[in-house]
Amino acid sequence: MSWSIYGVALALSIVMFLLGIYVGQIVDSSSKTDISKDISALSQQMASVQLLLLADSTQNNASSATSFCPVYLSQLSAIDHQVEDVGYRLSYLEDVKHLYDNDLKKQYFLLEAQSYFLSKKVKTLCNENSVLLINFYSNSNCAKCNDQGAEILKARDELLDKKVKVKLFSFDGDLGSPVADALKNQYGVTSYPSIVINDSLYPGYYDKTQLEKLIAGSK
Amino acid sequence: MDIDFVLLINYVIAFITLFSVNFFILLYFKHKDSYLTRPDDSGIRPKVSIVIPAYNEGMYLEQCLQSVLSLDYPKEKLEIIMVDDGSTDDTCKIAKNIAASAEQSGFNFRVFTKENKGKGAALNFGIAKISGEFVATMDADSYLSPNVLLEMLPYFEDKNTMAVTPAVKIAPTRSWLKELQRVEYLMILFSRKILSFVDSVPVTPGPFSLFRSSVFSVVGGFDEKNLVEDQEIALRIQSHNFKIHSSLTAEVYTEPPAGIGELLKQRVRWQRGGVRNYWHYRKMIKPEYGDFGMYFIPMNFIALAAFFTIIGLLLYSFFIAPYYVRYIWVQTLGMNIDLFTFLVIFVVLSTTIFVSVAVKSFKGEKVNPIYILSFVAFYWYLMFGYNILMLIKELRQEAFSW
Repeated sequence: MSWSIYGVALALSIVMFLLGIYVGQIVDSSSKTDISKDISALSQQMASVQLLLLADSTQNNASSATSFCPVYLSQLSAIDHQVEDVGYRLSYLEDVKHLYDNDLKKQYFLLEAQSYFLSKKVKTLCNENSVLLINFYSNSNCAKCNDQGAEILKARDELLDKKVKVKLFSFDGDLGSPVADALKNQYGVTSYPSIVINDSLYPGYYDKTQLEKLIAGSK
Repeated sequence: MDIDFVLLINYVIAFITLFSVNFFILLYFKHKDSYLTRPDDSGIRPKVSIVIPAYNEGMYLEQCLQSVLSLDYPKEKLEIIMVDDGSTDDTCKIAKNIAASAEQSGFNFRVFTKENKGKGAALNFGIAKISGEFVATMDADSYLSPNVLLEMLPYFEDKNTMAVTPAVKIAPTRSWLKELQRVEYLMILFSRKILSFVDSVPVTPGPFSLFRSSVFSVVGGFDEKNLVEDQEIALRIQSHNFKIHSSLTAEVYTEPPAGIGELLKQRVRWQRGGVRNYWHYRKMIKPEYGDFGMYFIPMNFIALAAFFTIIGLLLYSFFIAPYYVRYIWVQTLGMNIDLFTFLVIFVVLSTTIFVSVAVKSFKGEKVNPIYILSFVAFYWYLMFGYNILMLIKELRQEAFSW
């Protein structure tokens, strides 16, 4: 037996493996930092749209506001995509890699809430026909929440094929996020899963078909 | 399934891959200066019998037999035995014509015809008629370099050595599939040579292998029901604690499958036969069989288990994991660098380097780098297909066929 070669190969492999784990941790940590930076950047982008909206509203000129609608909508659409990407990256860390960071998640919920209120405002101002859907879930106390999340995604993708745009916002109601708690209070959410479609609360679990009907009815 | 358990499996597979690659690299560096050398030639020229079984090999037979007749070896020390295994083409006629003119030139060349019973039976039929101290078995679609016996015989100075394998190569062609197989053969040769330094040569290749004739009276003849009989005999020889050496300087050329279908059929047969043989010889997983028993055979099972685990995990990710996890996985593809990314990069890089070093180590073998890259990027992954087909055929208990 070539014990010496096995020994050296084992030692080398252990060193490389530990180095790989260490690099992996650095990469994970940098993923979190990147997400945090992206949240800040998106928050700033949203603030500029908000500022524009504020400037418009102070002029009390409805026609001017409406003329800015294409700008709002295109900017918001770009922001929405980026917010969604950040959400997926955060979910990847949590659901696939099991790396939890509550502070980062709260930061993200703040961004989502900002995006939600902005979308709501622009929807009213510009008569946009998208559907705003909030999914309230709990990671600690909800057996059907994962399934509900899946059904919402399926329904959203199917409706998109039918040219119905659903903007999705998800909040972990048990995380202790002030903004998530405020939204829960606003819509009277007491159990999970619960969904809010265009300001109407629907507690409980709904499958894809039921969701599509609810969304169609809310338009 | 708990995701952390999946992560643990990934770590285990990553570590085993890392260990195997490091083991190979260390073995290579330890023997870097000696892998193209052979033991000194004693100058003694023992009698060598060459047994050539053939079934419908009319197309390649002449080239094969002419290369045997052109060997750089005393003709009076050669005994050529051609076994026509019930061919339906002109194999027998070609063999008899060549044998007749060879006999006139002083060669001992005999041609036998028998009922078709498969390669193993034809080999045993021929071996029963030999009188040489050494016997070479040869495929009729292969041809030899003139120095092949002079390069292989010196390894038998070690009395415990019972077989020597040559460098089975594919001649440069214009067919992309054959060129890819050429790269593969060079890589296999290189690996086999490295493994020979720890007495772990897993096969005595059919195209040409040289045996000490007495080994067959100790371990028995070829397994006539085995479709990878060249591997089975190698395992059996080593199960008797005999050695097999590998030569990189004795060159033998063989004809590879020309089409994908033919290649797939050949490799699935190799995989099925290989797994069955290793399973049969699992009794060799003991310290008394050295590196072959304690590293090589277990590593074959581990590699197969790792392969199907990876397939299982991929299927799990795509079909069984919760929808939202799959959704996120797809949405974040390319956005996140994780252990899997590193593992893929490591495997691709190390395979590329390994194949490049392997090809480069054969001085005089010119391979277009495009084929090396294509090998790593595409051809290598045919292995997935071979293994999956092997599993399906084994589960369905399909009969073996050539």
